Amino acid sequence: MCRECGCADRVPFGVKVLSVFAPKLLQSAARESAGPATVEIHTPLLAKNDDAAERNRAVFRDRKMLVLNLISSPGSGKTELLSKTMDGFDEKAAVLVGDLETDNDARRIHRPGVPVAQITTGTACHLDAEMIARGMEGLDLDGVRVLFIENVGNLVCPAEFDLGEKIRVVLLSVTEGEDKPLKYPPIFKSADLVLLTKTDVAGALGFDRQAALSNIARVAPQAEVIELSARSGEGLDAWYGFLRKQLVGNPEAAPA
Amino acid sequence: MHEVGIMESAMSLVEQHAAGRERSRVSRVVLRVGVLAGVDLYALRFAFDVVSAGTLAEGADFEVEEVPVTAYCLGCEREFSGVDGDFVFACPDCGDFSGEVRRGRELELSRIELS
Ligand SMILES: [Zn+2]
Repeated sequence: MCRECGCADRVPFGVKVLSVFAPKLLQSAARESAGPATVEIHTPLLAKNDDAAERNRAVFRDRKMLVLNLISSPGSGKTELLSKTMDGFDEKAAVLVGDLETDNDARRIHRPGVPVAQITTGTACHLDAEMIARGMEGLDLDGVRVLFIENVGNLVCPAEFDLGEKIRVVLLSVTEGEDKPLKYPPIFKSADLVLLTKTDVAGALGFDRQAALSNIARVAPQAEVIELSARSGEGLDAWYGFLRKQLVGNPEAAPA
Repeated sequence: MHEVGIMESAMSLVEQHAAGRERSRVSRVVLRVGVLAGVDLYALRFAFDVVSAGTLAEGADFEVEEVPVTAYCLGCEREFSGVDGDFVFACPDCGDFSGEVRRGRELELSRIELS
């Protein structure tokens, strides 16, 4: 159904795109005859999720907690980065892990004193705001200053689901190629921060760093970019620096 | 698979608006979808056929109005439209890349027609 699992390939394309004017003609025709009656609705389809996201945002604000939503393709190193971050970052953190099947990711991240909970999404290829609200119930958030949400590995479906996060982080590993931002513009355009990960293997892969940075800058000029490798540790200080800067500058962490 | 969930929200709205009316057979369903909404139109069409089955909208025409992108240049303080099929938004005046999307993320049930 989504591009990630490729199951839309079999579906015949039958969507008609109306011009701006055609519906108005149809409507006036409708009023003058016994033809169809038009009911104008104009309601957002994700209103339910957006409402739940606002409730989450209020909870995060009350708790003075910085919340980040980490989104990437499978295998781009979210879990590895979060494991490292639990060891290296000095503020109290918690993690919500969204996963399709096993709870290996949550186990890998788990550390003494680090609240970690798994959200199993079943067949859903993204987390939604209500899943976050339920997932938080299973977490002891006392004293937690940063909550990391590891979204399901998918660059398409999570794009439009606001979880109530302050910072949306999109990870792109050097193994995925320089042109990925051009292939998934909605998610990159919604990013506050792009992490270029696994930089330790960039050389071996002949990764064109300049091309990747230029593609990110063109598609997502609003995003900050940090290059890092969880394995070698390169760039982790910049990542922690970003988090600290957000904590200091976060009105949710320090309300006026 | 999120197109199915989106279509389920759409169908529940359709039923709310159509039920109890004199003419409650839905002959047309129109969605407004921004090109940056992250929705696959093929999947949406498929989801409509699946989700509308057995509802007041079964067999209705399904249409999507695509909303093109409008971006905003902070430097020039002007809006400009994105070029079709190209997701790099460069201001036509100064050439700067813009990440500020003003329109193009819409995802809404626009209207229905009853007969
Ligand atoms: Zn400009």
